[in-house]
Formats: sequence, structure tokens, C-alpha cells
Amino acid sequence: MNVPPVEQTPVLLDRRAPRRYVDGVVTGVRDFEEEQDDVVRSLAARLVEGDESALEAVYDRWSALIHTYALRALGDAHDAEEVTQQVFVAAWRSRHTLTPSPSALPAWLVGIARHKVADVRAARARDAGRLAAAVALPEVRHAEEQSKDDEVAERLVVRQAVEELPDPRRTIVLLAFWEELSHAEIAEKVGLPLGTVKSHVRRGLIKLHQQLEGVRHDSRRP
Amino acid sequence: MTHVDLDDLADLVLDPDATPDSVREHVESCPECTDRLAALFDVRRLTSGEPLVAPPARVREQVLAQVNDVPGDAPVRPVPLQVAAPPPEVARPRRRVPVWAAGLAAGVALVAGLGLGRTTLDDATTPGRDAPEAVVAAADLTALDSTAGRGVARAVESDDTITLRVQASELGGEDGFHEVWLINVDGERMVALGVLADGDAGEFQVPRGLLDEGYLVVDISVEPDDGDPTHSGVSLARGELV
Repeated sequence: MNVPPVEQTPVLLDRRAPRRYVDGVVTGVRDFEEEQDDVVRSLAARLVEGDESALEAVYDRWSALIHTYALRALGDAHDAEEVTQQVFVAAWRSRHTLTPSPSALPAWLVGIARHKVADVRAARARDAGRLAAAVALPEVRHAEEQSKDDEVAERLVVRQAVEELPDPRRTIVLLAFWEELSHAEIAEKVGLPLGTVKSHVRRGLIKLHQQLEGVRHDSRRP
Repeated sequence: MTHVDLDDLADLVLDPDATPDSVREHVESCPECTDRLAALFDVRRLTSGEPLVAPPARVREQVLAQVNDVPGDAPVRPVPLQVAAPPPEVARPRRRVPVWAAGLAAGVALVAGLGLGRTTLDDATTPGRDAPEAVVAAADLTALDSTAGRGVARAVESDDTITLRVQASELGGEDGFHEVWLINVDGERMVALGVLADGDAGEFQVPRGLLDEGYLVVDISVEPDDGDPTHSGVSLARGELV
């Protein structure tokens, strides 16, 4: 499948030099997290009630996650756009099935995306060039694809969770895990004490863990 | 027994050398803490890869346009197949079922309740012509993206030949001619049987061995008049001979 050139706008990754931060923000983060959970919960509730502005907010927050997932799973920009569109339209139409909880919303969207990706694959399989898959889709290949997709989805869920961290934690976690900088290097870069940096990285890892577990848990629900 | 708290487990992932032995020893002997530690390592493993890529702005507009089309309180309805036009098609070597249509239709099929595996028991025998013949296999043809019926194909036997009688319906008015194929269930081989001269009905002689080899999936494609002898990739109907 050809990947036509697309306007892919890498978002969210801030390549600017990290700002320097004033110490003393570590404790404020916990409140922020709780507040975030409340925001997501009420967003889900509004969506279930049929509030269109909630759909817009849900789209704005998770469309990059869903789009990237579709892009990675399908390797085709056009198909990824179609899937993204379908996921949010489907989310709207089946919103009654959503249980509002902080992680249920992304888990639910990813679940819908999984189905849409499978639909595209099935449509492709019917393509003459993919005849082999069309007639007797080998279970093994399917399972492999599925587990690859799951891995992609989890990676993206983690990435999304990082992007939702308040700064400076977000920047520190990105530097630590994506840029693989040492805690000392990060401390130097952002101008915070080593202990503060360590604490942010630790809390960041735990938050990512919790977010991922939540999504995993909610994905397993029927 | 008190478990190691999450902060200490996180430190074991981030800075193992700085972790006190007591923590390490507990984790080694405690399956629960071992699991949690493994989960944290898993997160660390997943922290890589490229950033998220936002879809182009038009996707958002299309979503909202579609949502506005349907009354907010309408129950999930299986029908609307007319969707806002997809973004301009990128030139593709051959046409195929547009993804958006396939996806929607697949959703429709789910909503409607899948009715796969129907068998034609009625009308199992067709009046013979000259030689006595028997229907040895039949396939209900359906659309690929739904369970909508698209006719039937029957393999009838007389002497040593098999005749495949195809009676298709509702293949649509797409430009091109309709070609019948037999696809092997191994998914790797296919043979072209010929063209449905009048659009939806035709008879094809098939060597018996072909069916025995597993060429059992009847496929009807729409073929553009482009001189390309291969399958266009656009199948209008399909069904397996049983």
C-alpha cells in the first residue's frame, strides 16, 4: 500500500528548549491529576447525554491518539483519516454504551478504532492483490497483527498520558524516557534540584502506569 | 506482610542501584510486588516512539457534519450509507471498495445481526436439461460488505463435467462487465471462469477436479474494459460452494 504524502502535523512534542522551572510544583501536581480525572469523567457524562460540544472536546483531546493508532496500524494516511472520522462518528452514535470513568473514555475510543482498523483490513483483504487473506484469513497472522496493534495502542496511550502531565513533569518525563537523559542532565537543563527531578520522574512513571492499567482494565470489559 | 510501596518500586525501575536491599529482597519473595514491578518495567518499555500525529482539520469538520446530519437522540440506525464525501481520492492504480463504505457497511451488518452461513435448501434442484443432473453444491452469493443477497450459484453434475450456473442479482450499475471467478479456499489460487454476458446470469463448464482441489469460492467482480486480465479487486458478490 502506498503511503501518499500527507500533511502530518506532529503535535504535542515541544522541541523548544525546555523552560527553566521554579521549584515547588511537585505537590501541586496531585491536585491537578484529580482535577483532570474529574474533567474526563464529566466529559464522558456530557457525551452520554448527547452534548455535541462534549464530542468536540473528546475529538480535540483524543483524535491525535486515534489517528496515530490508525496510521501505524494501517500505514496509509487516507485510510487513517477515514478511520479517525468513523471512530468519532461511531462514538457519538453509540455513546449510550459508554460508562463514564477517567480511563474508560480513551479505552472505549481505542476499542472502536480497533474494530474500524479490522474493517479496513478486511476490505483490503478482499482486494485481488490480497486474495490470500481474503478467502481464508489465517488465524495466526490475525493474532500477530492484533498483538502488534495492541502494543502500538499501549505505546500511544502512554504517550498521551505524558502529554497530559502538567509541566514541568511532562517535560522532565519526556527528557528522561524519550530523550534518555540522566536525572542530573535534566536537572541541569530545566534548572531544578536533582531531588525534584527524581521525584517528578518517579511520580510520572507511576501516573503513566496507572493510566495504562486503567485503559487495559477498561479494554477488557465487554 | 507489608508490600513495597509504589514509589520504591518505581525507584527500582529508575535507579536500581540506589534501592535498599530490604526492598529488593521483599520483591523477590513477593509475587504481588513482582507483578507490579513488571508492570512498571512494562510502562518504561512503552515509553518510546514517535509523537502523536493530529489528523488534518478536515476530519474534524467531517465528523461534526455527519453528527449534525443525524438527530442527536436517534437510536443507532443501521442505514445511512451516504456519508459526507471522503477526502479527494489519491490516485490509486486500481479501484477498490472505498474504505469508508466498507467500514460502515460492516457496522451495518453487525447491527443487523449477522446472518452468515445460510444455506439454500429450497429449490435445491433445478430442472434438468437433457442429461440427468444433480446439484452437487450451491453457494448463496452475498455482497462482501453486508449479508445482502446477491443471487446464487449452483454446481450441477452431468457425466464428468460440472456446470456452474450463476444467477446473480442486484449487482449494481457500475460501469464494466461482470466476471466470475473461482477462488481456492487456500487463498492463493484463483481461476477466471468468464463473463456474465447478460450482466447477471451465466453458465460455465468446470473440470470436476477444480472443485475437488478446493476452488470453491464463487466470486463476481466488476471489471473495467482496460485489457487487464487480472481481477480488478472490486468484488460485487461472493459465496462458498457447499
